[in-house]
Amino acid sequence: METNCSNYSQGKKLNQIWNEKMKVLVLNCGSSSIKYQFIDTETKTALAKGLVDRIGMTGAVLSHQRYDGDKIKIAGEILDHQIAIEYVLGVMLSKNHGVIDDKKDIEAVGHRVVHGGETFSGSVFITDEVVNALTDNIELAPLHNPPNIKGIQACQRILTNTPQCGVFDTAFHSHMPPKAYLYGIPFELYKKHKIRRYGFHGTSHLYVAHRAAEMMGKKIEELKIITAHLGNGCSMAAVDRGVSVDTTMGFTPLEGLLMGTRSGDLDPSLILYIMSKEGLTVSEAGTLLNKHSGLIGISGESSDMREILAAVKDKQKRSEFAFELFCYRIKKYVGSYAAAMGGLDALVFTGGIGENANEVREYVCKDMIFLGIDLDEFKNQNNEEIISKDNSKVKVLRIPTNEELVIAMDTARIVSEMKK
Amino acid sequence: MQEEKLRLEDLLGASASLDPKAGINTVAIIGAGVMGQGIGQTIAAYGFEVLVVEKDITNLEKSKVNLADGIDYEIKRWAMTNSDKKAILGRIKWQTDLKNIDEYDLIIEAVEEDFDLKVSVFKELDKLAKKEAIFVSNTSTLSLTKISEKTSRPDKMIGLHFLNPVPKIPLVEIVKCLYTSNETVEFVKDFVSKIGKTPVEVYEYPGFITTRSIVPLINEAMHILLEGVATAKDIDTAMKLGYNFQYGPLEMADMMGLDEVLTWMETLWKTLGEPRYRPNPMIRKLVRERKLGRKTGEGIFKYDEHGNKLL
Repeated sequence: METNCSNYSQGKKLNQIWNEKMKVLVLNCGSSSIKYQFIDTETKTALAKGLVDRIGMTGAVLSHQRYDGDKIKIAGEILDHQIAIEYVLGVMLSKNHGVIDDKKDIEAVGHRVVHGGETFSGSVFITDEVVNALTDNIELAPLHNPPNIKGIQACQRILTNTPQCGVFDTAFHSHMPPKAYLYGIPFELYKKHKIRRYGFHGTSHLYVAHRAAEMMGKKIEELKIITAHLGNGCSMAAVDRGVSVDTTMGFTPLEGLLMGTRSGDLDPSLILYIMSKEGLTVSEAGTLLNKHSGLIGISGESSDMREILAAVKDKQKRSEFAFELFCYRIKKYVGSYAAAMGGLDALVFTGGIGENANEVREYVCKDMIFLGIDLDEFKNQNNEEIISKDNSKVKVLRIPTNEELVIAMDTARIVSEMKK
Repeated sequence: MQEEKLRLEDLLGASASLDPKAGINTVAIIGAGVMGQGIGQTIAAYGFEVLVVEKDITNLEKSKVNLADGIDYEIKRWAMTNSDKKAILGRIKWQTDLKNIDEYDLIIEAVEEDFDLKVSVFKELDKLAKKEAIFVSNTSTLSLTKISEKTSRPDKMIGLHFLNPVPKIPLVEIVKCLYTSNETVEFVKDFVSKIGKTPVEVYEYPGFITTRSIVPLINEAMHILLEGVATAKDIDTAMKLGYNFQYGPLEMADMMGLDEVLTWMETLWKTLGEPRYRPNPMIRKLVRERKLGRKTGEGIFKYDEHGNKLL
């Protein structure tokens, strides 16, 4: 069963869509790590959370934290994802550090799945057919989808009767129109290799757009919202009446905004030129664009915005360039997306940088009154929730994101619908 | 915070299922020369724990420094990152003896190309390594079958011919000797794919595919030069542009080291008896003059102190 993300654009508020009470284990499986949270959707809080690191390597360790602050680290021979999940269940069941008495207390498992390709336009109840379809999408996310699938298969073996759902990073953007998702290259390449823009951070954009509507006391279908998720990876989305109609990340999470270590948009010919000038192979060019570019590449100092801001205070020229490039590109996309939607009601900042770096928000919103954006400097510096002036036509909001909660709530919703 | 050594069994009792899956988890490399170091870097980069054994402490220290310098150079040209460096160096253990060698699943010998030396290494390993451990030799010319006969596990003896520079060449020749079992081949093939290389299977035979094919090409290019048909630069340009080679044959010989190339030529000539492998007089002359290619600053071409070709 698949649910379309347009469910979220029919005037319903999040708490009307997400009203199921359930305890959900949320898993985010990476190639050698698993992040997890055990979330009670009634209270919207995590009963436990943790990380299994170095899976398949020596020195593997599980770090677990309970709601009451109790912490524990467990070392072990964690050879694969299945053993890692057994460890997670083990610690959740343990007498002294656990939160459940029986595996059955986990009512559902929600998996973060990076790439749903064109197959999945919403969260999905996991069946064998779904796993096969995910396997078909491996080529699109060769680093991320295989561990996601491993996590799903491990849960199918260990938690045999527990319903599982997949929540996709790409799903929220799956309703972009062709003019936003096609690239200007031969159409055959889209048909042949599924080369198109997909977008990422979907759960975060969905969550903060809906929270913005709630905070403004309006229905999401009345609003044109730009969401800016600025963290390790950065992306923006144009959310027109609840539907993502454009987003900055594309075929991969490299496109769009400048990021900590990623270049974002650039002239595609540059890649070929750099490869020939510097004698780089294809994979080395990938490392250059993904790991050595962005804030670290320009500043030569750091990929961390906090350190860039400190260097800017010290008048370090390259860090100033990095800061300005970062903000300027966001500013350009604000204008671009306002034009794309034919108006703007709210601009939302989220993610580590979006929530904490008031300097970034200030730069982006400066001299934007012509668009209706009038930032309140005092509120912005105090990191308040609504940081625009009371009479600002466009509301500027600072909303902490919660991707795990989105996964838990959507899982609970789908599982409940299945039971009905 | 609890003691980190706490294990899952301590929390749950013995019921926790923890049966480890079979597979290669730990790799030891004997010899820290250019090949040993390159193989170690490659394997560690793919997440395996690696032990490098080098009995000469000076060579061991030199290899450690070369490894770090090599990665730094790659970071400078944006091909690797500091975290790659940390991860790779963190996964490699160095020692001068065979202590705890019984903990390793796969043992790769990368000592000098000397039959007696290799036999003595494998005889020693045969005594100390666990019964299931697979023995790998990096030899490109010696008889693996003969070496394997000196051990108690010829079915677990196999060759892996890595090419220099190991981290950058995506190919490995898997060399089967007379006794290598199919299980060993499959096991090692799986391992080779896990370290990002494409394996090709060959039977033990002088020069395998790569050395045997490239040596006559280099030899012929040298004849063309010697006979005054074209300049070295034009020979390389013709082969690069005409056949889409990344490097011309003469530049390639300089990179491989002319002494190495000469050794291969002589081995192939001796073992196969074909005149096409007979070394060109020019390579003999250059090697006599210690003009060995990029590593000595001069071979067929001249090089600056960083190994860049002088035009």
